[in-house]
Amino acid sequence: MIPHRLTLARARLAAGLLLVSMLGACVGAAREPMDSLSGLGGDETVVVGRIELVPPLRKDEQKLKGLNSGSFENKVFLFADEHYRVLTEEPVMADYAGRIEAILGKNFFVRSHSKPFFILGGMMYLDLGGREMNRAYFPGGLKVSLKPGDKAVYVGTVQYHRNEFFEITKAAIVDDYDRANTEFKKKFGAKTPLRKALLTAVK
Amino acid sequence: MKHRIWLVLGLITLGLLAGCASSGPTRDINDPTNSLVFGYVDMADAPTSVNSAWITQVAPPSDTPYWGLGVSKGLFYNSYLPPGSYQLSKLGGSGFFAGQHEYSFPRQGNQTALRITKPGIFFLGSFKYKKAKSGMFEQGKFAIEKINKPTEAELLKRILDESSDIKDSAWGNKIRARLAQLKS
Repeated sequence: MIPHRLTLARARLAAGLLLVSMLGACVGAAREPMDSLSGLGGDETVVVGRIELVPPLRKDEQKLKGLNSGSFENKVFLFADEHYRVLTEEPVMADYAGRIEAILGKNFFVRSHSKPFFILGGMMYLDLGGREMNRAYFPGGLKVSLKPGDKAVYVGTVQYHRNEFFEITKAAIVDDYDRANTEFKKKFGAKTPLRKALLTAVK
Repeated sequence: MKHRIWLVLGLITLGLLAGCASSGPTRDINDPTNSLVFGYVDMADAPTSVNSAWITQVAPPSDTPYWGLGVSKGLFYNSYLPPGSYQLSKLGGSGFFAGQHEYSFPRQGNQTALRITKPGIFFLGSFKYKKAKSGMFEQGKFAIEKINKPTEAELLKRILDESSDIKDSAWGNKIRARLAQLKS
């Protein structure tokens, strides 16, 4: 929880917003969204998936104000790492490296090394700008099972069910392969198959 | 000139009274669908005391989700909340040296979450402000910790003693009935 000293709050918030803007600059890069397979290296895979919120965000439920804050609209930052760990505290800058930036309800197509990795958790800004910074966190503990030689892998739709207090009451992996494959073929052509390897819970 | 001083003092008093009364949407205090929601926060370790508080209606969705709470020496309350889901969203206070402060509660993982399905009297709890560790670039943080005192009964007695509006409304009898229930 955050107390604001109104005179000092703006300076502190400016530092906070600077940190936010650094997500796109100094903080380790996000996994790159792909529009074409031509630049894909031999040891790289396009990971295809989707994040959904149930019930979905209502209009104005996410309050984003100020410069560049619109780029966070409907966006979930998925913390991803090749080494599994449990995030017990608020994520730090290093946790953002290699993240997946997923727009709620839309498929993501991101470049990854062809090695298994883990979704450690997720974060979304609920309030950003003005004097507010409020975040929602999502549980992780999911394994992305990539194999050497994979060119494109579908990992499924993660449905985060929430109550009115934004507590995540359930996380389900839904197989929506047909829809994702249709979009994949439209985007990248029919030459490369999209292998299905749904996310699995880490034991 | 003398009159002007009294006018200024009067306006200041009015301003202070306004600070203690709840604001935001209002309803008839005797509406049978009303609920009385109250709690307490000990701000001894905070930069300021509290002179304003807000509770947010998170369900059903509303265009005016922020309900003001009456505040008096750590006690906060609202006697006309309709059925719905609520959580504390903000406390405000000021101090001579500390200046104006706002204490924002998280929208997720808020300890004061409350679902009202049937009108009644709801005690959110007594809490104590605790400063929490924050990073170099982060804003100062705080946490609230549940405490045992003051009790629900002590706070209900204070509401009766301090708010004649509530005491003289339909709440008077309901609060007395609740106090009797707590005693037994």
